Amino acid sequence: MIRPEEIKMSEEETGKWGMVINQDLCTGCQACVAACAMENNISFVGEVDSGYGRSMHWIRIERFWEGEYPEVKMTPQQPMLCQQCGHANCEPVCPAYATVHSQAEKLNLQVYNRCVGTRYCANNCPYQVRAFNWRDYKRPEPLPNQLNPDVTVRRMGVMEKCTFCIQRIHKAQDVAKSEGREVYDGEFTTACAQACPANAIVFGRVDHPESLVSQLARKGHGIKHLEELGTYPQITYFKEG
Amino acid sequence: MIKKFFDWLKQPLGLIAAGIVFLAVFSAFAYWLYTTQQAPAQPVPGFPHKTHVAFGIQCLYCHPGASKGPAAGIPSQSKCWGCHNQIVKTRDSALLAPLKDAVLNGESLVWVPVAIVPDFVQFNHRAHIAAGKNCEDCHGDVSQMGIYQNPQVFNMGWCLNCHVETAGEDQELLIKLSDCGTCHY
Repeated sequence: MIRPEEIKMSEEETGKWGMVINQDLCTGCQACVAACAMENNISFVGEVDSGYGRSMHWIRIERFWEGEYPEVKMTPQQPMLCQQCGHANCEPVCPAYATVHSQAEKLNLQVYNRCVGTRYCANNCPYQVRAFNWRDYKRPEPLPNQLNPDVTVRRMGVMEKCTFCIQRIHKAQDVAKSEGREVYDGEFTTACAQACPANAIVFGRVDHPESLVSQLARKGHGIKHLEELGTYPQITYFKEG
Repeated sequence: MIKKFFDWLKQPLGLIAAGIVFLAVFSAFAYWLYTTQQAPAQPVPGFPHKTHVAFGIQCLYCHPGASKGPAAGIPSQSKCWGCHNQIVKTRDSALLAPLKDAVLNGESLVWVPVAIVPDFVQFNHRAHIAAGKNCEDCHGDVSQMGIYQNPQVFNMGWCLNCHVETAGEDQELLIKLSDCGTCHY
């Protein structure tokens, strides 16, 4: 078995899967938000609980205002999702080991059947991308028919977050293995990247230098959000050029 | 009123009555526990797996999904009827009346899955077959079964034992096979 002390976390360790988000292309149409909710069986919270700040989205479009009225200017739309940090703040605080780092896929996992709902991870996440199931939100008929069978339907009292569509990663790896080859770049993508009409989101292997995400990440002046906290996020953002 | 009742209970007759009530509750609970451990009723009562295996039918003929994808699958009634229709003995058998009715009325036989894992476990048959596992390694000796029953409890310790044994000294495979995200997402 792999013991915690054997897990090496070197500073220069790169992730496996990553993303490049171009904020100049993003129009804020929310197609990624809808696609993510459909792909990952995310509950529909409703307006009452949303009013309490309990809305559940794994990806959201952030926007900020610059300047004083009447000289206000909107900053570019900023899709914010789990950054799949190399040094994730959510992981060491979980008392139930429900959010652990996948050594195989280099992702932050959320193991729903271990989660006891302390919400410590969400309080520790600097990106505020974790969502908690405050209730068992009912899906009226015939909506249960559109549930994705590859993704667990979460219950009340469980934390959840973006998984980088790990079910698609596993499916692509399974298909590739049955055909005796490696997963090639662009063979599959996440639901948000697939739905984006402007191709503002690109997903792929960041540890392969010739993949599209690696090429885009090298180009220009991409930034990683809150990198100064030492979280080693896997998503590179581009804006204004 | 309550004191009177307890006084009556302390008499020999009361003790016997209390004993009978206790036995009744206990046996009802024991029977309920027994029923939870039984194989569920299937649409064709007493479906004999062993007869089918004895005729030399491979597992993958009726459950072809096992080598291709996540679910092994349960045969449709047209697949059952494809063979049974051609055998006079089974075509008119009273035991197969549910199948015949379903085919003639265009309804489906609703089999009850027995070898199941919880919703938060993502199981893939294909990977296990490709890794060289045989059906009987997990499902037991089906050639001796009537209605299918799980030979053991499918729990995480049992899964993980086999994963660790399979990985052996291969560290890369061990990381993959003992990773939470391999089964839970």
